[in-house]
Amino acid sequence: MSGKQFFVNRYEKMGWNFNEAKARQAIRVNVANAKEKNILRRLRSNGVLLDKTPFLETGYWVRRSRVSVGATAEYLLGLYSIQEAAAQIPATLFSDVKGKLVLDACAAPGGKTVQLADFMDNTGVIVALDVDKRRLSALANHLERCHVSNTVVYNRDARQASGLKLNFDRILLDVPCSGNFASDRDWFARRTLKDVKRNAGLQREILAEAAKCLTDDGEIVYSTCSLEPEENELNMHWATKNLGFTIEEVDCHGQKGLTNVLGQQLDVSVERCRRVWPGETQGFFVCKLKKRRNDK
Amino acid sequence: MTNLTTSFAGKVNSKLVLDPTLVVEKEGRYFLLNKDLKSVARQDFFYAGKYLGKMKKGKFFPSFNLLAMLAEAEANKVVVDEKAAWLFICGRDILSERITAVHGSRRKGDFTLVLNGFGECLGFGRILHDLSSKDINAAIRNVSDVGDFLRRER
Repeated sequence: MSGKQFFVNRYEKMGWNFNEAKARQAIRVNVANAKEKNILRRLRSNGVLLDKTPFLETGYWVRRSRVSVGATAEYLLGLYSIQEAAAQIPATLFSDVKGKLVLDACAAPGGKTVQLADFMDNTGVIVALDVDKRRLSALANHLERCHVSNTVVYNRDARQASGLKLNFDRILLDVPCSGNFASDRDWFARRTLKDVKRNAGLQREILAEAAKCLTDDGEIVYSTCSLEPEENELNMHWATKNLGFTIEEVDCHGQKGLTNVLGQQLDVSVERCRRVWPGETQGFFVCKLKKRRNDK
Repeated sequence: MTNLTTSFAGKVNSKLVLDPTLVVEKEGRYFLLNKDLKSVARQDFFYAGKYLGKMKKGKFFPSFNLLAMLAEAEANKVVVDEKAAWLFICGRDILSERITAVHGSRRKGDFTLVLNGFGECLGFGRILHDLSSKDINAAIRNVSDVGDFLRRER
C-alpha cells in the first residue's frame, strides 16, 4: 500500500482534490529582537518583497527577492527567521506562554523553539529536547543567532520527558511524522502506509509521555506536517479515549478535523482540530489538548 | 569561569562583569543562565541560556551573544557604512574610508567591535593602523563576523 495513486485516492476519499502544490517560502519577524515595521523596511530596501500571510500576526510570504533571505545581515542578526507559514501556527495556539515552563519535546532544528522564546519575550523557561544529537548543533546555532536566552536543550528522546521530573505548563508536540509531498518531491516514491502506521505508533508513545508531565491546567499543542489521518485525527481520537484529554477549540487557519475517516467514525470533538491541505502552505495538522476536568 | 569573559571584555575596553554563579561551563563551552534556568537546568544539558563562547586550544572564542552584550555598553566600537557592513559579514576587512564613527580606542593592535549603522554588532576585529590617520588601506582586520552562522552549516 504505497505509491502516488494509492495516497491520492485516500486524499480524495477524505474530501480533497489532489493538486501539485508547492509551499511558498515564508519568514517570521522575531519581535523580541526587532520592530516589525523596521525589518520590513530594511528588507524592502534590500530587494525582498513580502506579502503578509493573512492568518499570521508576524508571518510573511516571500513574493520575490533579489537576495537569498537566508543570507541577509538581518537574518544573521536574528531579526527574522525563515519558517514555513503553516509551521508558524502551532506556537500561536497556546493561551499564554510568558513566564511559563514550556516543553518543546521534538525541538530540532528549532524554528518553533525560537518562536516560543519570542512570544515569551525570553521569560520563563523552555526545555527543548531532541533525540538526534546531530540535529542539536543546528538547534544551538538557531538559538544563538536569535539571541534566545530562556532555553535549556537536552539530547533526549521525547518518550523519556518525564525523567526530567518537571511538570510543564505548556507542551509543544511537533512530533516526527511522515511529512507530505508539498515539502518533499520524492514523498510518494519513498512513503508507504506501513511507515505512516509506524510513525503513528511513535506519536502515541510521545503523547502518552507528555500526559505524564503536564500540569493539571496545562495545554498541549500537537502538530504534524503529515496529511495521513493515522498521524492526525485518529491519534487525537485515541488521545481523548485513552489519555484523558479533551480537544480544545482553536481559532486558526485550516479546515475542521475529519470525524469520519475512511469509514471510521471518530469522536465529534475531533472536528476542533485543524487540517491544512497543501496550497500556498505545505500540508499541516494541529490540535490543542487539555486534561479532562474529572481526570484532574 | 567568568575570568574568560571578563578578560575578553577587557580586550575591547568593556567593563562587563557577569554573575559568576550564573555562568556554567559545558565541555569547553560557556553559558550564562538566569535564575529560572538555573533552578531547572541539569548537568547533562547540551545548550542553556545565553551562549558566551568556547575555549579551543587555550584560546577563548566569544559568541555573537557575548559580542552583542558588550556592544550595548561602553567598549571599543567602530560603526561602518552599509557596503562595509555587507563585506564584513562576508569575511572581509574594513577600509578606513568606510568607518563612519569610532568609539574608544583608535590604537593599532587593539580589538574593536564592528557595528552597522543600526548599532547592531556584526562581529569584531583588530585595528591594523592608527584610526586617526587617513589610510585607505584595510583598517580593521576581520577576526569574527556573523556570517559565521552560514559558514558553520557548510
